[in-house]
Amino acid sequence: MTTLTRQDLNFGQFPVDSLTASPATAVTLLFIPSELEPSGAFLQPSLHLVNVKMSCHPELNQYIQDTLHCVKPLLEKNDVEKVVVVILDKEHRPVEKFVFEITQPPLLSISSDSLLSHVEQLLRAFILKISVCDAVLDHNPPGCTFTVLVHTREAATRNMEKIQVIKDFPWILADEQDVHMHDPRLIPLKTMTSDILKMQLYVEERAHKSS
Amino acid sequence: MRRGGWRKRAENDGWEKWGGYMAAKVQKLEEQFRSDATLQKDGTSSTIFSGVAIYVNGYTDPSAEELRKLMMLHGGQYHVYYSRSKTTHIIATNLPNAKIKELKGEKVIRPEWIVESIKAGRLLSCIPYQLYSKQSNMQKGLNFTPACKAEEPGPGPSSVVKQLNNRVNHIIKKIETENEVKVNGMNSWNEEDANNDFNFMELEQIFPGRKQNGIPHHRDNAAIFNGHTPSSNGALKTQDCLVPMGHSFASRLSPDFAQGEEQAEKSSTDFRDCVVHLSQQSTRNTDAVRNPHRTNSFSLSSLHSNTKVNGAHHSAVQGPSSTKSTSSIPTLSKAAPSVPSKPSDCGFISDFYSRSRLHHISMWKCELTEFVSALQRQSSGVFPGREKLKKMKTGRSALVVTDTGNMSVLSSPRHQSCIMHVDMDCFFVSVGIRNRPDLKGKPVAVTSNRGTGRAPLRPGANPQLEWQYYQNKILKGKAEIPDSSLWENQDSAQANGIDSVLSKAEIASCSYEARQVGIRNGMFFGQAKQLCPSLQAVPYDFHAYKEVARTMYETLASYTHNIEAVSCDEALVDITEILAETRLTPDEFANAVRMEIKDQTKCAASVGIGSNILLARMATRKAKPDGQYHLKPEEVDDFIRGQLVSNLPGVGRSMESKLTSLGIKTCGDLQYMTMAKLQKEFGPKTGQMLYRFCRGLDDRPVRTEKERKSISAEINYGIRFTQPKEAEAFLLNLSEEIQRRLEAAGMKGKRLTLKVMVRKPGAPVETAKFGGHGICDNITRTVTLDQATDSAKIIGKATLNMFHTMKLNISDMRGVGIQVNQLVPTNPNPSACPTRPSVQSSHFPGGSHSVLDLFQVQKAKKSTEEEHKEVFVAAMDLEISSASRNCTFMPSFSTHLTSSVNPVTSKAESSGKWNGLHSPISLKSRLNLSIEVPSPSQLDQSVLEALPPDLREQIEQACAGQQGEQHGDKRKEPVNGCNTGILPQPVGTVLLQIPEPQESNSDAGINVIALPAFSQVDPEVFAALPAELQKELKAAYDQRQRQGENAAHQQLATASVPKNLLRQLKPAAVKEKKRNKKKNPISSPKKIQSPLKNKLLTSPVKTLPGACGSPQKLIDGFLKHEGPASEKPLGELSASTSGVPGLSSSQPEPAGCRRPPAPNLAGAVEFSDVKTLLKEWITTISDPMEEDILQVVKYCTDLIEEKDLEKLDLVIKYMKRLMQQSVESVWNMAFDFILDNVQVVLQQTYGSTLKVT
Repeated sequence: MTTLTRQDLNFGQFPVDSLTASPATAVTLLFIPSELEPSGAFLQPSLHLVNVKMSCHPELNQYIQDTLHCVKPLLEKNDVEKVVVVILDKEHRPVEKFVFEITQPPLLSISSDSLLSHVEQLLRAFILKISVCDAVLDHNPPGCTFTVLVHTREAATRNMEKIQVIKDFPWILADEQDVHMHDPRLIPLKTMTSDILKMQLYVEERAHKSS
Repeated sequence: MRRGGWRKRAENDGWEKWGGYMAAKVQKLEEQFRSDATLQKDGTSSTIFSGVAIYVNGYTDPSAEELRKLMMLHGGQYHVYYSRSKTTHIIATNLPNAKIKELKGEKVIRPEWIVESIKAGRLLSCIPYQLYSKQSNMQKGLNFTPACKAEEPGPGPSSVVKQLNNRVNHIIKKIETENEVKVNGMNSWNEEDANNDFNFMELEQIFPGRKQNGIPHHRDNAAIFNGHTPSSNGALKTQDCLVPMGHSFASRLSPDFAQGEEQAEKSSTDFRDCVVHLSQQSTRNTDAVRNPHRTNSFSLSSLHSNTKVNGAHHSAVQGPSSTKSTSSIPTLSKAAPSVPSKPSDCGFISDFYSRSRLHHISMWKCELTEFVSALQRQSSGVFPGREKLKKMKTGRSALVVTDTGNMSVLSSPRHQSCIMHVDMDCFFVSVGIRNRPDLKGKPVAVTSNRGTGRAPLRPGANPQLEWQYYQNKILKGKAEIPDSSLWENQDSAQANGIDSVLSKAEIASCSYEARQVGIRNGMFFGQAKQLCPSLQAVPYDFHAYKEVARTMYETLASYTHNIEAVSCDEALVDITEILAETRLTPDEFANAVRMEIKDQTKCAASVGIGSNILLARMATRKAKPDGQYHLKPEEVDDFIRGQLVSNLPGVGRSMESKLTSLGIKTCGDLQYMTMAKLQKEFGPKTGQMLYRFCRGLDDRPVRTEKERKSISAEINYGIRFTQPKEAEAFLLNLSEEIQRRLEAAGMKGKRLTLKVMVRKPGAPVETAKFGGHGICDNITRTVTLDQATDSAKIIGKATLNMFHTMKLNISDMRGVGIQVNQLVPTNPNPSACPTRPSVQSSHFPGGSHSVLDLFQVQKAKKSTEEEHKEVFVAAMDLEISSASRNCTFMPSFSTHLTSSVNPVTSKAESSGKWNGLHSPISLKSRLNLSIEVPSPSQLDQSVLEALPPDLREQIEQACAGQQGEQHGDKRKEPVNGCNTGILPQPVGTVLLQIPEPQESNSDAGINVIALPAFSQVDPEVFAALPAELQKELKAAYDQRQRQGENAAHQQLATASVPKNLLRQLKPAAVKEKKRNKKKNPISSPKKIQSPLKNKLLTSPVKTLPGACGSPQKLIDGFLKHEGPASEKPLGELSASTSGVPGLSSSQPEPAGCRRPPAPNLAGAVEFSDVKTLLKEWITTISDPMEEDILQVVKYCTDLIEEKDLEKLDLVIKYMKRLMQQSVESVWNMAFDFILDNVQVVLQQTYGSTLKVT
């Protein structure tokens, strides 16, 4: 979860690194408004030149890191449709879903912006938007947990089972219960379109959170 | 010992040579055979098979040994070893696949041929006994006439040719001696039969050519033909026909023909194809029917140009054939000289059209439309039929007045419009059998096939595969070519087992008796014959059809001239007036009309009457056959609910299957669908149409006139080329055909489109339908010429250019078409110009036509009257505005817009934004505007074709008009600093996008209003511009300064423009790439339309009339168009912002890497633009138009699809704010409507709905 520098401009590597960094930050960021973690548990490093609060709970960090590490190969192959951070209430029913919808733009190129500074700006905007999303969301009921879902395209799951990126960190098929939300409301947060990727974040929120 | 002996022998007989032993052996066997033969000869012997050498392959019945004996007895040769050069026939009953593949045009004949030839006592044609051949059966290419042989310089490697010649000679000999050819086993051969007559005609047509070529065999051939009884359907005959045809073709097509045998051979394969073209001019032109470019049908229907040529030819050729089912040759040969001998392929093309029923049908429609409008022009207001009816009525009512009283008067709903739909019952059939009472009441089909409905299977053809493909296409909307390996087994099985397939001749029309057993129009004859073995085939009789159609229309015209010619057998008549005048009930009137038609034509007509066109048509369905039905208003609801959706006009197979998948069968089901849902499924226009139609609503007027928009000639039947030369020659001929048509129509065209159908990769080479195009890809190229032309030379040259850029595999070509658009009348005299005001749809304030007309008048005067200049300029302006306005409609109808339209649309888009400003603009600025009329090259043809006809018409008219003007007049405008910029682009550019001129166009547009202050121009950018551009820009700035005095007028415009411009210019400069991306905006014009419309009348154009000093009419027109005209500047603005900063950005991208356009609202992509647009829309209009709302919904849906929810959210919120603030409750409703629609789409896409707070 490094801050990006201009030096590591490896085109194959950079976007994905940068991308995984963003959701990682995003995921962590989400906890703040979601009040999943005690507020003391966050540090303030900076990503994309934005000061962000980060979790400093080592196991949580590890989990997030591992998760994203596993998502990375999928991202590289453009097999990921959505990465969803689901906030579940005590009954393990989803109350909020932060959906990162990832698509490749129709014309993939990195020619125009060799420094990817444009992408960086967009990502920064993204993160900024996340940090203020609590303003548009209702408060969550106490005692929430979270889980990360990855919606893959086509047969990506099968490949994933074959190649476990990290040992003892397997992907499992999500329960319908985790995925399905009752009476969802959609709140678009941010859309970014760049030459290398198109990503949008929206929140699906249960209409009546406390019930 | 043995070795020694071997060597010894080798010395004397040359066995040391490779293959020497075999040669010797074969020789010996032959000797043996001969000696055996002499021994065998006795009373039963004959010389039937002299010249025939057979080789028996595999198991046969009778056995090989027996065959050998038979050949001995009857003067033939029997080869134990196959010799390519000497063996003439291979005898086999069954060949393994591998052997079939090895065949190269050899004749593989079933043994029955020999047996039956002996039985018949003469050599029968081997063709019906053919097992299969490499070439398709009709494509017997290697048939040389003796004349050809004479030209061949000596023996060559390909003695096959020679042998074939021999064989042909034999056959000819036989025919000469025997007048009656009794052909056995011909039944499986009907495909060929069907073509027989054509061949004859073909032949006759070519005869003049032959004479010219001075070929001595003409007489012989003619003699042969005369010897035939007309009814004999012999393959022999076909073969003979092919001979001269082939020859004349060869001599035409390949000049190298006589140069050597190799070449001769090659060309023989070439002309084989040509022969096929020729002989395949059947009228059952399925191709056109299944032509995927249905949108093109307008062009088809609008051709009638070739009337004269074809017509003349036709009456000659068809005349005789109309009375007998087969053509009688003597008459034909008489008719032949009347056919002008044309160079090369001409005969083919005109012949194709003379036999294409679709061509005729469309031609007639044009003629009849013409006929009706001619009647209207000459109308004296007296209708004999009507008078008669009146008399009849009064006479009758005098009789019955006491008991019925006013009943009939009351019962007829006079207040309501009443449309009558007259439709002849199975037109082709009833015309075909009106003189054949023996066929009445029997299942009859009009088709070109008159055999049993079977045709020989041509190897390589894969009907199942094609069928599967089309099936997929219908079901899924798109299709992949099925894996051919799937079919391989079946295929080979078929090749081995069945040697004939069902005839693919299409049924053009069938009688009701035939329909009862499930036969349908358009069905393949073979299939139909299976369904109904007693089905009678009746040939086409185009002459009679025309006559009957004419009679029917004359009958109708005796009542009213308010007739819309739907087709040759179908007309819509507005009888409201008649009913009011004659006081007849609709039923009475219908009865009278039907009686009269039946009286006059001996054909039955059905009549449906309803309050609108739709209902009238539906009623006709119920009325059929030979009946009438009046759909009374009170019955409509019940009636329509029971109707199948497929009965609705505009619901074709694909839509029907789509509807079926939605569980909709009847209109009643359809009524349960909401408009929104329908529009989502089928697009806004179609959705609305369905919504209305299924409720019986239809507001289309009865249109009596229609205008020609394009002229085209397209042939996709029998196209098989082997050499580029042929294809080129064919294109040139097609160009000539186009020239003829243009001349006949008195038009010149500027825009050329070449359409080529190419075999889809993976599709079988041999098509299921003989000569058909099979599964094809369509490739089109369009070019805009310097000037409108009707010269075949120019057209041909341009076409060839386009053709070469396609880089096609010649042998894969399956269809070729040339279309000419942007027609301008040849005669510039406005009074003679056929521009007629067309019926305009309700969305469009009329006037552009009248303005155009006026414009033309102005133009005529122009040269002498200099003071009219300003008027002229103004008029020109209107034109442009209407053009650009039209252009803006494109996006809503086609999502795959190519960017070539974009310059236009972007202009329009910004003109939309400009709406609020609509400042008066000086004439001078307008003058410049006129320059940047969307050049026709910017209009994408496919898009244009996808437009509804009325729109298209407007666009094309505007363009055509503009085109005509541009040359003559623009140069005369000294005011204009950028004349050069507008000059049409060079012809050389073949692709759609022709950047330079348009670029300069936009620059030209800039120079007055849209330029930023000079200080704001980035010097670097400026320096990067090409020199001419710089010059132009400079000139523009100069000009602007000169226009200082006009500043007062322009204040408003310029004040806001630079600001706007800056905003756009900057991002454009910074992120050129991004800009680029967004540069495909597709404007959705309706958006613009309504603010525009609102403003039309309010716009302060008072300055103009003074300047113009023109007649009132012009001012009216001008006023109407002032809106769009004043919007222009913005158009340029956006064009300039995209065009100026980065030249590269306006360079044409190669067509391949074009990105799908970003979702946009009336061209606005950026949120701020969208906002401006929305705000203007909502604040300026009190009553939003439905189309506008739908446009917004479409935009929102696009955003969802584009996964740009953020913007969607913002747009929705913005609209919510504005609309709910609005005092008009309509806006509230509009918002709810939009939101509902968006939520539905969201629900489907994301499974959740937007949270709107």
